Amino acid sequence: MTQQRPGGPGGPGGPGGPMVRMTRNFGSFGSGRSVVGQTILELGQKYDNVWAMAADTGGSLAAFRQAFPDRFIDVGIAEQNLAGIAAGLALEGNIPFISGMIPFMVMRACEQNRTEIAYQDLPVRLIGTGGGLTSGGGSTHNAMEDIAIMKSMVNMTVLSIGDPNMIKDILILSMTYPHPMFIRLAQGKQDRLLYEPGSITFEIGKGLPVRAGKDATLIAHGEMVFQSIEAAKDLEAEGISVGVIDMYSIKPVDKDLIIKTVRETGNILVIEDHLMEGGLASTVADVFADSGVYPKKFKRLGIPQVYAGFGSAQEQRKKYGYDKAATVAAVKGMLK
Amino acid sequence: MADKKEVRRLQDLALEMRKKLLNLCGTYEGVVHIGGDLSMTDLLIGLWHHGMNVDPKNIKMPTRDRFILSKGHGAVCMYIAMCLRGFFDYDEIVRTYGKLDSAYGMHVCKVYLPGAECSSGSLGQGLAVAVGMAFSAKQKKQKNRVFCMMGDGETCEGEIWEAANTAASYKLGNLIGIVDKNNQLMSSMAGEAMSFEHYSDRWAAFGWNVVDIDGHDMNQIVDTLDKLPPITNDKPTVIVANTIKGKGVEFMEKVVGWHAGSLSKEDMEKAMVQVQAAWEKEKVTP
Repeated sequence: MTQQRPGGPGGPGGPGGPMVRMTRNFGSFGSGRSVVGQTILELGQKYDNVWAMAADTGGSLAAFRQAFPDRFIDVGIAEQNLAGIAAGLALEGNIPFISGMIPFMVMRACEQNRTEIAYQDLPVRLIGTGGGLTSGGGSTHNAMEDIAIMKSMVNMTVLSIGDPNMIKDILILSMTYPHPMFIRLAQGKQDRLLYEPGSITFEIGKGLPVRAGKDATLIAHGEMVFQSIEAAKDLEAEGISVGVIDMYSIKPVDKDLIIKTVRETGNILVIEDHLMEGGLASTVADVFADSGVYPKKFKRLGIPQVYAGFGSAQEQRKKYGYDKAATVAAVKGMLK
Repeated sequence: MADKKEVRRLQDLALEMRKKLLNLCGTYEGVVHIGGDLSMTDLLIGLWHHGMNVDPKNIKMPTRDRFILSKGHGAVCMYIAMCLRGFFDYDEIVRTYGKLDSAYGMHVCKVYLPGAECSSGSLGQGLAVAVGMAFSAKQKKQKNRVFCMMGDGETCEGEIWEAANTAASYKLGNLIGIVDKNNQLMSSMAGEAMSFEHYSDRWAAFGWNVVDIDGHDMNQIVDTLDKLPPITNDKPTVIVANTIKGKGVEFMEKVVGWHAGSLSKEDMEKAMVQVQAAWEKEKVTP
């Protein structure tokens, strides 16, 4: 646990304050895609079994493509084929990194992900952009079922990343991780900076408590982490102490942290840019049921059973009731 | 012309393999995909006993040719072809086939069967995996080829043609597709539902080097495998092997019901006599 630097958000460290070192530029924007491109390039320079792959969506991999044309594959718009080829590469000892848009990577190639990659437990890395309603493309391009689908696959690790700098740690770590991974990014272009680079330890199966609180805990992943921190600050100004957990590892999930949190604050709110059914909220609820450690109150905010239309992510989150204002209102409702 | 002695050796092995398949089909309590097994028997003997560089004593030999059975329901056919080559024990296959924790199940499962390159069973997916292996071999400058055995029915799947497109676009000359073109699907003859007309032209149009053969003529099989283009060829090659589903067993040949089935003792004995007779008719004398 580190004290926050002067000039950062919130007050000084301590109860109710930040538990990790927020970046000096907290809340400004970075690009997850650029970090992906740069990191895969660096990994490609270091390891000759790193491949980069795309189905016509490899813009962020341009530097890798230029440096290692014989380890770059663009198959055109053919995601099923791409997943199969990645499996073939991995069977030969390579580590393929696929970059693409989540709905097509996850759903068009669903069976290939399951049968070629997960069943054979191959170290393929599926890096998807456009998590939740961030794509702006409407329901064909929205990613609201992906976590439910991918976490149901045996051997598959499911991560959802908000802070663009965190992706670097994950990709480096993935070089020594022998199983398949689905890494969900938000928009990938305009991602909120959260943590001081290098200040947090990333571990598969762990969650990151980013803010301490005693009245309730917000558990979020991806873009919803920033929003949760902002909501917690607003609540703090009203005298309500709310903790925030960045649950970047959805499968495996940090059961111990969930149970500890239930015991500490008792009121749990899960916020995610995903269908409320089948995502992190369902995983957290499973932990309650399986452990027998139940919160006083539990609420989930996210996408309802609807095929959303168009508009900015912010406008849609407001419409469907999981923006910052809705989060603040939901916490107050729980504490009544 | 292929060496007659070698052709005859392979023909003898193919006969033994047919008998072993029929024996399993007659003794196993469940169904065996006997129709498509018999249609690719000669091809698998040609590959595992002549065309491919493999070593049963060193199954992960880095220089080995890779083999993917995309038509994964023909798994037992692959097990027996490999067993005759010294990879597996036939008695163990018969004793454990389809049973709990067996390495030998209805579809190829790499988790249980260490000698398999890739699990399969969901149709239309093997060629893409083979393309991935071919990419890797080419990039690492390996000398091996990647062979992928497909059924004609599974080439209704779109992913086959996505993979075919990629293989041709990236000039994967080390990739060899083989289509067991038995002109039947599980529930229909070619033309009844789906058409397989202009079949070889389809592959050619995708940019593949196409070789049409009689998939039961061991002389042609050997000749084709001996004369494969070099791995540096600028096109992948597909061998379109015209075959007969149920080949060698008169009451099975070209009969839709024999995609998968089991045999009574009486029918099994009848089938054994028929495959022997077919072999007598077709065998070459060196």
